[in-house]
Parts: sequence; structure tokens; C-alpha cells
Amino acid sequence: MGNKQTIFSAQQLDAYQDCTYFTRKEILRLFSRYRDLAPQLVPLDYTHQPDVKLPYELIGSMPELKDNPFRQRIAEVFSEDGEGNMTLDDFLDMFSVLSEMAPRDLKAYYAFKIYDFNNDDFICKLDLVKTLNKLTRNELTEDEVRMVCEKVMEEADMDNDGRLSLEDFQHVIVRAPEFLSTFHIRI
Amino acid sequence: MFLRPQGKMLVPSLLLLLMLPVTGAATELSVTESLQSGLAGLGVSGDHGPPGLVSPGSTGEQVQPEVAEEEGSHHGGGFKIVQWEWSYVQTPYIISVWLLLASLAKILFHLSQRFTTVVPESCMLILLGLVLGGVVLLAHEKQLYQLEPGLFFLFLLPTIVGDAGYFMPSRLFFDNLGAITLYAVVGTLWNAFCTAFCLYGVKLLGVIDEKVDAGLMDFLLFGALISAVDPVAVIAVFEEVHVNDTLFIIVFGESLLNDAVTVVLYKVYMSFVEVGPANVGTAECMKGLVSFLVVSLGGTLVGLVFAVILSFTTRFTKKVRIIEPLFVFLLVYLAYLTAELCSLSAILSMTFCGIGANKYVEANISQKSRTTVKYTMKTLASIAETIIFIFLGISAMDKTKWAWDTGLVACTLVFILLFRAMGVIGQTWVLNRFRLVPLDRIDQVVMSYGGLRGAVAFALVVLLDGEKVKAKDYFVATTIVVVFFTVMFQGLTIKPLVKWLKVPRSTNRKPTINEEIHERAFDHILTAVEDIAGLQGYHHWRDKWEQFDKKYLSKLLLRKSVYQKSELWEAYQKINMRDAISVIDQVGGQRVMVHSRRL
Repeated sequence: MGNKQTIFSAQQLDAYQDCTYFTRKEILRLFSRYRDLAPQLVPLDYTHQPDVKLPYELIGSMPELKDNPFRQRIAEVFSEDGEGNMTLDDFLDMFSVLSEMAPRDLKAYYAFKIYDFNNDDFICKLDLVKTLNKLTRNELTEDEVRMVCEKVMEEADMDNDGRLSLEDFQHVIVRAPEFLSTFHIRI
Repeated sequence: MFLRPQGKMLVPSLLLLLMLPVTGAATELSVTESLQSGLAGLGVSGDHGPPGLVSPGSTGEQVQPEVAEEEGSHHGGGFKIVQWEWSYVQTPYIISVWLLLASLAKILFHLSQRFTTVVPESCMLILLGLVLGGVVLLAHEKQLYQLEPGLFFLFLLPTIVGDAGYFMPSRLFFDNLGAITLYAVVGTLWNAFCTAFCLYGVKLLGVIDEKVDAGLMDFLLFGALISAVDPVAVIAVFEEVHVNDTLFIIVFGESLLNDAVTVVLYKVYMSFVEVGPANVGTAECMKGLVSFLVVSLGGTLVGLVFAVILSFTTRFTKKVRIIEPLFVFLLVYLAYLTAELCSLSAILSMTFCGIGANKYVEANISQKSRTTVKYTMKTLASIAETIIFIFLGISAMDKTKWAWDTGLVACTLVFILLFRAMGVIGQTWVLNRFRLVPLDRIDQVVMSYGGLRGAVAFALVVLLDGEKVKAKDYFVATTIVVVFFTVMFQGLTIKPLVKWLKVPRSTNRKPTINEEIHERAFDHILTAVEDIAGLQGYHHWRDKWEQFDKKYLSKLLLRKSVYQKSELWEAYQKINMRDAISVIDQVGGQRVMVHSRRL
């Protein structure tokens, strides 16, 4: 063990350790997972900070993810360019937010962003409708979706502006004490 | 949820007891003996089936000629306008009066609000049992009623376990399954062995009196039955305390799953004691290990098979709505009995039957049936709990059954508390390396303190064969003391302890539609993230199970009309209905207040 790795320079590793909640070992482990996604695209030498992005199609075409309704949204939220093309930094960020050390507010913020389809910093009715349809795989009729959305608004919309702001969302999350443990992945 | 009684029922109980001498010598049967004579016809046996059950043939026969005599005297005396048909109605009458007594005691108990918040109901019930036992002892010089193992294992325990298993929050249960299984298996084994060896060591040292004629095998047997956490006691005490759901599910799940371990250990050591300690070899130990796997996995399998049968049956009950609850009760009970039949773990079978069937059955049956099932199960479980605790109290007063040895009692108490604490700490340390949310010190304290022993241990010790286990009477007394100590002392003190430690309590929040949505969304999100990283973690497997369920199981077990509707919609309906009902309740309540003011 020790400093024998040649993937990153020492400063890079330190920088990563500062920005994320991970230790050296975990960062290296995550790097190897990142590389496993596309071995031909990702170089083994990151010391010169290559501009490597994994295109969205790579993630979107993974067989495990094909049934998952949120795959596109996740990639979009955690990618710098918002298109779903992930750099290593984005990858590390994603897991950092979901790790046990990340504070609840940070997690709530990212969860909020995932629901916010039109990226206007509010979860409006349309966003809710889209979420619901994704969750129920379009099994519900329009009326039913509308009724559920209304109920959601009724429960969560504190300032009564017809859409959920980040504060409304956090208020809902605070009332569910298990949120911190649910929105969590262990690497 | 459960109401609890208080003891001031001397008058009615005296009335009942006075009735007995009136009926004459022929009818001095205990409740359970008459039941046994009925059950003898079923040819019931099995490992939880006690020797006590098999003997009734003789007592039954004795009764017959005497009853015939009485009837003969009735016929011989000419036409009587009113006759005293006590022998005819005796058994159901006594049972009903006992149930009535218990239920009335519950009402009395709740008259004093201050009392109920301090003293848990189980304590009051045991005290009431002690009082009643004392009365019976005084009136009759011997104990007429006691907690017969047959009655307990065939009727009382399945009611409580069935209720618990059917309404177990399955998501929470499976999330914590690793912890639960570890505590149930490793924890119980640790407790059993350590207690047994230490008691034996203490006996060799001479702290336990010479009168207690027990060898290592006997202590191992005793250790096995005294070390299991008891589901009845845990429910009774924990439901008053309202700790947070995770803690409760771990302790309660442990108390259910350790049944397999207890059953196997008990059987294995019984056979060792019978065979004689000299003849125990490695073959026997291997058989024990295999037996454990068979008993636990077999019991689970039986339960799951019945769950599938139950769910499948309820798929077709649309035209016979009125008997839907009957299917639920019968099949869950049959799961228990079938496992008992094959000497597998009956508690495991019933628990998994309930857990497995719940999702599909609740979706298939009508709203009215759901309500019926829920309230009938809860009522029956409540009654069973009450009877168990009262009879525990009564049985304690039966001096003929036990013998006292201070050394044994004191050492057992110390050891079980000590080893429980050590076991919990050790296992939690291991567990926390794997758990998402670690269990902290306070959780560990509550878990150690919540390791209550109860009626199962008592029933098992009474089942021991007095010929083979010479120290049986000492063991019985020790078990009684241990059970009383845990249920009463620990039950009384756990509430203040929980408050003092500031244990996070269950908030009893109403589920909101937001949470339902977020829970589902997060599941998908986290599964996706895991898949991106190529991790095969918890979410990955849970998602795979959900897909399997959606594609095959739900198609098979759910009614067509239900299958096509998403779960989210069902959840929304439930929440809507609950909110509507609560609004009506509020409005209705206000109207009633207005009316009463006018009057």
C-alpha cells in the first residue's frame, strides 16, 4: 500500500479528499468502478487532468437500468453540462452526496433537483405529473394522476403558490426521520 | 392497543369458586383437563405437545360413569320443571366466565389513569393471577387451574404470534433481517451455552445446593429454555413504551425468530438427557446442527407455502366475501399446526405465512373483510395475552410444582442479565460494520434490557419430564422467578429508563402521500446509482425482488382488477379514506359536543 498509485498526483488526491467525503482508498475504488463503465475511454493516467466524459448513452443503455424510470434524471442532475455526460468529478460527487457523511440538507437539495424536470428551482404541477407517471409507468389515468398531484400539493405546499420550493420540500423531508437513512448508499 | 385489567375481582371469583363444590365430586376437573379429554380424541402429540395432554384418557373415562349416574338420577325422579345441567355446560361455562373476568378486570384497570401510565398491564395481570391463585389455594387446598402447556402452545400462543406476524411491517422487517437473524441465532446460542456452563460451574463450586440434582446436560437443557427472548412478553411491555420502530422490530423480530433455535436446542438436549450424558457423541451434535437447519428452513418454507395458498385462495373469493376472514384465520392457523405436526418451528411458519400473505391478501379482500380480520385478530390476541399472564400468576401459587433454591435462582438471574448484555454488545459491534444506520449505545441498552423472558419458557419448563430431569421442580421455581422478574420489574422500569435515556420514540405519524412517493422514487434512484457503480448492494437485490414479484408473483396471487392498479394508487386511496374519516370524526365530535351542551 502507500503512495504507489500512479493514477492521480498527490495534490489531486488531496483535492478530491477535501471536496468529497471520501478517503483515499474509497476514491481509488470509485475510480476503478468509473473505469469499468468504459475501459477504452477512461485512461489510467489522470495526472494531466484529461477531459474525459462518459456519454449519457453509455449509462442509459446499461441493461440493469433499462427499467429504471429515473436513470436519465440522475445522470442529468449529477453531470456538469446537464446533458448526462459524466466526468470523474461528477461521478465522485454523486456518490459523495449519497454517502453516510453527507449532511441531510445536501441530500435534500439533490433529491429536490432530481424531481425538478424543467430545472426552474421549483417543483411545479408538471414536474409532479412527470414524476408520478414515471413511478407508476403510465398505469394511472390522467384524472387519477391529477388527484394524487393535488393531494401532494395540499400536503406539502406551505406558501400556497401552487408549486413546491426547496423549503417546502425540506419541510416534508424533515418530518420523515428515516430520510437520512433511506437516501444513502454504502460503497 | 391492548387493554389491561387490575385486580379487585375477588367477589366474582369467589362466586365462581363457590359454585364448584356445589356440583359434586364428579365434576372436580380443571378447565384444561376437560379440554384435554376433548383433545385426546384428536390424537394430538408432537414436541410442543405435552405429556400432560396424552394422559386424559383415564380421567375422561372416570368422568363418564359418574356423569351417567347423575343423569340416571335425573331421569329416575320424574319430570322436573327446572333442572341443573351443570355437567352439560361446565366446560364452555367456565371458559366463558374466565374470559369475562379477564375482560372486566381490564375495564377496572383503566379506570385509574395514573396507574395505567406507570404500571404496564402485564404486571397487573400477573398480580391479579397471583391473587386469584391465592384464593383458589385457600378455597381448595390445591391448585385447580394452571397454565397447561397444551392449551398454551395450541391455542394461546398461535393467536398472539399470528396477530404479530400478519401485521408485521414487512419493509422494516426485511431491512433489518440481518440484525434480527444474528441476534436470534447467535445471541440465543450464546446465552444458552454461557448460562448453562456457568450454572454448572457454580454448582460445582457449591453455591447451588446439593439438593438440585442436575448434571451438565440438565443445565444445558435449562439454559436452552431460559435464554430465549419471549414474543408475548416483548409485545406486552414494548407496546406501552413506544420506542422507535427500528429498535422494536429488532427486539421483536429476534423474539420470533429465536423459536427455531429454542425448539432445536430443547429437543436435542431432551434426547441427550434421556440417552444419558455418557452416550453423547459427535454424531449427535451433527444431527443437532442439521436439525436446526431443517427446523428453521422447513418452518419458513411451510409458512411460505401456506402464504401462497392463502393469497391464491383470496383471489377467487369475490362472490363469497362474507367468509374471507375465515380463510385468513384458518390458513394462518393451519400453517402453525402443520409445522407443529412435522415438528418444525411453528412460530417461524406462522410469522412468515403472515408476512408473505399480508400484501396480497390485503389487496384482494374487501374493505369490510380487512376490518374484520384486523379487529378479530387483535381481540383474540388481546384475550390470549390476558389469559396467559393471569394463568402465569395463578400457576406461581401452586406450591406442589416447585422447589426453592436461592443459589440457583440468584445465579440464573445474574447470568441471564449479564450474558444478554454481553451478547448484545458483542453482536452490535459486529453488526455496525455492515449496517447503514449503526446501533448506538442507547439502542444497545434498550435491547439488553428488553430481552424479556415469558410464558414460553414457563410452558417449556413445565413440559419437562420429572423422571428424567430430577431437578425439574427447582427449574420450575427458577423459571417462575425469572419470568416474573423480567415481566414485572423490567416491565415497570423500562418506561422510566427509556425516558431517562432519551431514546427516540415512535412518532406515530400518519403516512402522507409525499412519503409514499418519495420512498418509491428513492428506491428507484438508489437502485440506479448502485447499478451505475456496478454495486450489487441492498437496493439492487430489493429491486430484483420487486421485478420478480411484479412479473410473476403478483400476476399469480393478485386479483386481476387489483393487479393492474399501481400500488401508489392503492396507497393514495387508503390515505384519502383515512383523512376523510378523520375529518368526519372531528366534525361529528363537534356536533356531539354542541348537542350535549344544549341538553
